Amino acid sequence: MHKNMKKATPYLLLFPIFIYYAVFWLAPVASGIKEVFVGMDGDFTLTENLKLMFRSDLFSESVLNTAAFAAISVVLQYVIALVLALLLSRKFIGSRFLMFISMIPMAITPTATAILWKTGLVKDGWINSLLMGLHIIDNPIVFMNAEGFQAILLLIVIDTWTVTPSVMIILIAGLQGLQKELKEAAYTFGANKWQILKDITLPILRPSITTSVIMRMIAAVQVWSIAVMVLGYSKAPFLVERIAFYVDAIPGVDTSTKLAYTYSFLTTIVVLLATVIYLRVSGRNKIAAGGEDE
Amino acid sequence: MSYLEIKNLQKRYTAKGPLIVDNMNLSIEKGEFIVFLGPSGCGKTTTIRMISGLEEISGGDITVDGESIVNKLPRERGVSMIFQSYAVWPHMTVYDNIAYPLKLQKLPKDEIKKRVQAAAEATEIQGLLKRYPAQMSGGQRQRVAVSRAIVVEPRLFLMDEPLSNLDAKLRVSMRTELKRIHTKQGSTSIFVTHDQSEAMSMADRIVVMYKGKIEQIGTPMEVYQDSATRFVAEFIGTPPTNFFDASIVREGQEIYARGEGFDYKVPSSLHSALAGYAGKEIDMGIRPEYIDILPDQRKQDGYFCDARIDFVEPQGSHSILITEIGANKNVKIHTVDHMDIKQGTKVSCHVKNGMVMFFDKESSKRIK
Repeated sequence: MHKNMKKATPYLLLFPIFIYYAVFWLAPVASGIKEVFVGMDGDFTLTENLKLMFRSDLFSESVLNTAAFAAISVVLQYVIALVLALLLSRKFIGSRFLMFISMIPMAITPTATAILWKTGLVKDGWINSLLMGLHIIDNPIVFMNAEGFQAILLLIVIDTWTVTPSVMIILIAGLQGLQKELKEAAYTFGANKWQILKDITLPILRPSITTSVIMRMIAAVQVWSIAVMVLGYSKAPFLVERIAFYVDAIPGVDTSTKLAYTYSFLTTIVVLLATVIYLRVSGRNKIAAGGEDE
Repeated sequence: MSYLEIKNLQKRYTAKGPLIVDNMNLSIEKGEFIVFLGPSGCGKTTTIRMISGLEEISGGDITVDGESIVNKLPRERGVSMIFQSYAVWPHMTVYDNIAYPLKLQKLPKDEIKKRVQAAAEATEIQGLLKRYPAQMSGGQRQRVAVSRAIVVEPRLFLMDEPLSNLDAKLRVSMRTELKRIHTKQGSTSIFVTHDQSEAMSMADRIVVMYKGKIEQIGTPMEVYQDSATRFVAEFIGTPPTNFFDASIVREGQEIYARGEGFDYKVPSSLHSALAGYAGKEIDMGIRPEYIDILPDQRKQDGYFCDARIDFVEPQGSHSILITEIGANKNVKIHTVDHMDIKQGTKVSCHVKNGMVMFFDKESSKRIK
């Protein structure tokens, strides 16, 4: 009896968490999924809502935009963050100050970010005056009129500005955890700086890179607030932007609720698939599994 | 000219900072096994890193085979290094770890395979080639590091405290193994350690360093029995040398070293060396095994004091006796002949075979 009690203790202690998850997490997810497979008439349907979504305004744009945004922004952010991390992880005069400066975007809330960029992007905003002041352009660029792919690029720039510092910090933490002697060993055996980066540093950092890439990808697929706050609804449609649009911009219409649920469902599937594919491709389990004896 | 020459080597980390390595001069013959020995911060690791090319020099020169290497990259110096942390790359299999230096040299695949196999056999890890470092013990990882270092057939084999992360038992067996590999490969080796027994058991010659300077260069027996400075006498040997403050007194034809609680008649062989020290204070050092005791308090040649045994520490093969002589409350005596001695016994202490060392108080140098 006593022994059984001991075994049950951890479950008993965790029980409130299970309840919390069941009520506030599992239940809404389940009801959300249920909504996708219940038609307007209240009967079960496999495809009705999906078809509704496929035929809805801006569907294919939102899918393509999300894919383009996620792919380009994650790659761009990683390249910039890696360069910055490699630079800042070596000690030089002013490196601490540069680190401080580069982390400022992280501390700014999304709303403030949007306002900051919006004031910059308007016709007589600070970006145009800066570019004209430096004589890079002669006439102001009308950023806010950006459409289609240009709008996406604009949002990628803003997102990169906001997110790169947090990626950089993960990479710096990884670099600092890397034993100096691992690189020195490669150097004494004849590797040059590029070979050390390619053969030693990056492969050893791979676990921390993998984890943070997945997190970044999930966040990138869920982009919407910047798009809406800077450009407004439907200017740069994304998957989650559509959800917000149907919930927020045209509420009360029957189809819009259905569409919001269906878009949510699709987004979840996309995130799940992307994660699985990325884990496969990056071959993260290789080290853990290891080889066998001869 | 010797194989490896270190001339007036200097190192400081900042322009006006202290000299970490202070005008070091050293000649090493081809095939020698040299140990740099000293406490932490003595400059031994800095020196080996300057030889490897990981650290720039601030002055002087290092030549191998008559050719200066200080402006060369590590790979052009023909060195290989074993690190304290092993520095085995965690994301590569054992095979890839050993093969990586050869891949950098762009050798053909079948030659790489052959050489990796041979290097793995030399350290008896040929069965582990497909494993990852995480699946191996510390000793096995150390063997990988050794294989990787010998596979490049270096001109200089550098080892920076390679055994200090191993447990005590493994450390002792790895010593023998490294010596065996050295005998077989015949490469000129420099081994850095702060462990004097490691240095004694492995070195052809020991370079004892202290505060960036070489205190003594010599064979293990030379630095032990014929220590050049007080620091060497103190640092080498366990338990360490016993030191006493003594003043030199001349009485007729004899010279005495006297201090609180002891009076020692100096053997005539040291008379000329001590001639200038009459009436002066010096440091007198006697190693624990060169103090002979007689439990019946008889006095023989070499007598220097009476004492009472405070503690007995049996070690199996010998015992360490602890006693108080004058101001030195922790005099240690290594005895094989009187292992049955009891705590509290009154004894007379003698210096065996005149094995006493005198050091100048100012320079710490040996008077001989």
